[in-house]
Amino acid sequence: MRPPQVWLVAMQEFRIRLRTGRWRWLLGAWVVVVGGFTVLLDLALSGGYPGSSVEAPGVPLFGILMLFVLGLVLVVSPALTSQSINGDRERGTLATLQVTRLRPMEIALGKLLAGWGVGLVALALTLPFTGYALSRGGITVVRVAAVYAVVAILIGVVCAVSQALSALLARSITSALLSYVAVAALTVGTLILFWLVAPLFTEERVGPGGEYRYGVVRYDKVWWLLAPNPFTVVADSAPHVPPRITTDGDFIRVDENDPLSAIGRWVREIRTPPRTEPVSYDARFTDPDPPVWPYGLAFNVLLGAGAVAVTASRLRTPSRRVARGVRIA
Amino acid sequence: MSVDESAAGVVVRDVWRHFGSVPALSGMSLSAPYGQVTALVGPNGAGKTTLLLVLASLLRPDRGEVRVAGLDPVLDPYGVRARMGWMPDTFGLYEQLTVAEYLRFFADAYGIDRTSARSRTAELLDLVHLSEYGPQPVHVLSRGQKQRLALTRALIHRPSVLLLDEPASGLDPRSRVELRDILRGLAAGGAAVLVSSHILTELEEIADRLVLVSRGRTVSEHTMAELTRSAASRYRVRATYPSALAAALGPLGVTEASANGTGTELGPLTEDQAADLLAGLVGAGVRVVAFEPLGSNLESVYLEMTEERR
Repeated sequence: MRPPQVWLVAMQEFRIRLRTGRWRWLLGAWVVVVGGFTVLLDLALSGGYPGSSVEAPGVPLFGILMLFVLGLVLVVSPALTSQSINGDRERGTLATLQVTRLRPMEIALGKLLAGWGVGLVALALTLPFTGYALSRGGITVVRVAAVYAVVAILIGVVCAVSQALSALLARSITSALLSYVAVAALTVGTLILFWLVAPLFTEERVGPGGEYRYGVVRYDKVWWLLAPNPFTVVADSAPHVPPRITTDGDFIRVDENDPLSAIGRWVREIRTPPRTEPVSYDARFTDPDPPVWPYGLAFNVLLGAGAVAVTASRLRTPSRRVARGVRIA
Repeated sequence: MSVDESAAGVVVRDVWRHFGSVPALSGMSLSAPYGQVTALVGPNGAGKTTLLLVLASLLRPDRGEVRVAGLDPVLDPYGVRARMGWMPDTFGLYEQLTVAEYLRFFADAYGIDRTSARSRTAELLDLVHLSEYGPQPVHVLSRGQKQRLALTRALIHRPSVLLLDEPASGLDPRSRVELRDILRGLAAGGAAVLVSSHILTELEEIADRLVLVSRGRTVSEHTMAELTRSAASRYRVRATYPSALAAALGPLGVTEASANGTGTELGPLTEDQAADLLAGLVGAGVRVVAFEPLGSNLESVYLEMTEERR
């Protein structure tokens, strides 16, 4: 694999995309949706009264905004690459690439970069609104950078999986549909599976003094089912919001009503075996539960890498196998 | 008609390929020598496109021996791709690019450096009469122009073997003549050119050699010269005095002839027979003003040969 050739394919693909779609309108609509959401959310969080005093309004503003943006990019990303291979086959332009001296991996990565790049442009357009959230106080630039980096990687993963489906399936309609099924499996599917499987790991406990028995669901045995979920990965990988420390030395939480922080706390709690003693918030902050996101992120990155490998192997010629109904040229 | 295989750009020997349970190539054999245009002709579904895909290093044959520019496309696809140009029947153009952008991209993809790519592109666009279309988007081109652009793409890296799938289909007569001139020029430059068609007459004036295929097999290989000599067709003869012509035909052995307003039709005759007849008529003092074959004799050969296989 030679980087200049990857770049060549990426730029070519990017140029073609730029000239086919109504990008100005699509990106304009994107900015309007994200901007409108930010403004309404800011008003809602301050109780409908602009300027009313809420402790660090930037924290929930950023958290909810990023969950919304993640949801949107998960909807948009499959569309970026789910026809990039079989669409070219249908137009007869893939084989002319394959007979050049470009390697299959160069074609696969170049096309992926072009689709991913469009996704990253959309993500970059949400930065001004994040900047606004940052100005509202409570969050750090590090938290913003971490969340953006993970969302950027996840866009790439979804693009890679969609592209692999477009390399495997003959019809672009089928691959587009299955790309959305794959995203649904990662987001809703992992959650449903978690709730269905967890009760199978119920343990019987005996109450104090042996007076009664009760069941404890051992969520810590199935926590890994939630790890691949993109929302889990983004929420848990975000650096914790530091509490405000009063002059008396008390911790005051500022992430109470931030769903992004809440998801992160929740999955870590699930991973930890059930406690017998309740734990104070302070202790949890100074001695946090082990994280879930490294597993989730690793899973997703491997999924993306595997998808690229599948795409490249389906682009290798001379090919032995030809999918039903596929015209090579 | 076999060819010295060391001088052949394409050699195919007993090549098989099936798709599922459908056979596409069932032991096809042929060769295309350097310096000549070889026509690959057969009805739809004869395996022409499949064979060209195998030669273009896109499809792996089930078995059989394939050499393109002396190399095996399965073992050394990149070696073959550096020496082979392929034009699919769908052309494979990017409609959104300009002609110049399209060619520059493929020059880069073939690893041609920028300076030689620029001169090569200019030279090729001149060859196919598209020089003034460089800044135009591909989608404004006519079908004939698109086909010539696709040909330019296939030629950008100076291949010694050129594979063209149905290049003449859908072209107007003018474009076809231009295609003929370009392909003849490439063959004269030493390239091995293999051109497929399901219409034999399209390639009549382009090809030096003809390979007839049907149902995944080679039916026969011929030189064009040999074919036209042996093929019989009907002739139309016109003389200043039709009665003198009619009187002279009998003694020269022509028993069946029908006269109408445009002349006297007779035959079928091979080229040798026709030449003898003309000499005889002139020798007998008939003032012949026209002596012409009716339609293409190749078409009749083709129909005759594919008929045998039904």
